[in-house]
Amino acid sequence: MLSHALIVARKEIRDHLRDTRSLVSSAFYALMGPLVVGMVSIAVRGEKSSAVLLSMMSLFALVATFVGGMNVAIDAIAGERERRSLLPLLMNPLRRRDVIVGKWMAISVFALAGLAVTLVGFCLTLALSPQLLIAAGVALVPLVLFAAALELLISTWCRTTKEAHTYLSLVIFLPLGIGMFLIFFPHVASAWFWFPVAGQQLLLDLLIKGSPVPLLSAGAIDIVSLTSAAGILEAAGKLLQQDEFVYGG
Amino acid sequence: MPHACDYPFRMIEASNLKKSFGAVQAVRDLTFQALDGKITGLLGSNGAGKTTTLRMICGVLQPDHGSVRVDRAIGALLDHIGLYPRLTARENLAYFGELRGIPASQLTQRIDQVIRQLGMETIADRRTAGFSQGERMKTALARTILHSPQNIVLDEPGNGLDIPSVRALRASLRQMRDAGMCIVLSSHILEEIRILCDQVVMVAGGRVVAQGSPEDLCRETDTASLEDAFVQLTGRQETLECSATH
Repeated sequence: MLSHALIVARKEIRDHLRDTRSLVSSAFYALMGPLVVGMVSIAVRGEKSSAVLLSMMSLFALVATFVGGMNVAIDAIAGERERRSLLPLLMNPLRRRDVIVGKWMAISVFALAGLAVTLVGFCLTLALSPQLLIAAGVALVPLVLFAAALELLISTWCRTTKEAHTYLSLVIFLPLGIGMFLIFFPHVASAWFWFPVAGQQLLLDLLIKGSPVPLLSAGAIDIVSLTSAAGILEAAGKLLQQDEFVYGG
Repeated sequence: MPHACDYPFRMIEASNLKKSFGAVQAVRDLTFQALDGKITGLLGSNGAGKTTTLRMICGVLQPDHGSVRVDRAIGALLDHIGLYPRLTARENLAYFGELRGIPASQLTQRIDQVIRQLGMETIADRRTAGFSQGERMKTALARTILHSPQNIVLDEPGNGLDIPSVRALRASLRQMRDAGMCIVLSSHILEEIRILCDQVVMVAGGRVVAQGSPEDLCRETDTASLEDAFVQLTGRQETLECSATH
């Protein structure tokens, strides 16, 4: 039932808004990209500097979709299990899928906020047009939802917050690695268009170059990302049905 | 001797429960009934199968075999009493109340009522991060009874509590029993069971070895104390298990 998911999401958001240390660390992560690119923009001069900076921007924007909700994701299931509040939560008359969906919504809210901070930061440091950043933001929303689902699945699978932190930190290399690969090997790009992360990277590339964005392809990558997110949430819900993932044995 | 089966109303019935975790048989064949207006205690050594049984009663573990019948709403305080440290006790309760479907118009009133019942007025609006074990236990108990369940299941409820908190907990449980609720609790502390329970279900090796009132069990074993009865009955069970093995 959606109302249960909304209750869970509202509680998670209120709870994590009080976690000042986590908010500060997420803000640092979100501002890392604009700060690094801003510093490089001072150091790099020349014809190609603009292209380099915009490539770096797209890379950091991709990473931002994963980092904003990371702390919330760690606490979402692994944290609940570790503090032994997961079982009492699951004993309420709500479906485990609702727990997952509610927590996913909360992670997505924080991830979207992180992405917004990153894009506004780029807007200020690189003096980019707000239209470009809004278009980039819209293109990345499905990826944020996909990333939130993936992080929640990992948090459900991990036994402790320490373990979740380790694996989620590694997940950040997914956008970083794919983004860098596509920057250095642009000729393989079209084949990657259907994969979440890679597809958004290519969309960003088109937006930054000012090339026309094929709406059909953009819609297709959105559908693929959202369908993948739904599948991942379903898998997380199934994990939560299993005793070993509830009790952490 | 009156037996549980003689009572007309059985609000929690566990029948032939079996549960294994890999090669470990936690519950082998466990049957008992708990009645309205009574406190039923599951008494057993560590690893006897009490917690697993309570988890099956609450529906958070599925038995491999057997069935559980619970007639009405159940409130359970198992060994997981985690709270949300950045929320106050009142907010913790409100969250669970909303998930339980208590209408918003009644929720505040019900939370106030439970806070008064458990004497939590001084801690209700504090974040739970700095709570003592007793305060955490009280908040978890408040969360358990918030939706006014007719059946209460408690796993080792006295664990970690100081003497005043234990006495307050006992008083609350008696009050709930007198209000006609069906209470099942597990413990390995004989004194707690003797003082609190109307009906004792002794568990050893995942099986029920005896059930009845503490007085009945002493009479049946011709012993002066529940401790002696427990040793005699669980010792007998261990002997039977040894005979079956060899």
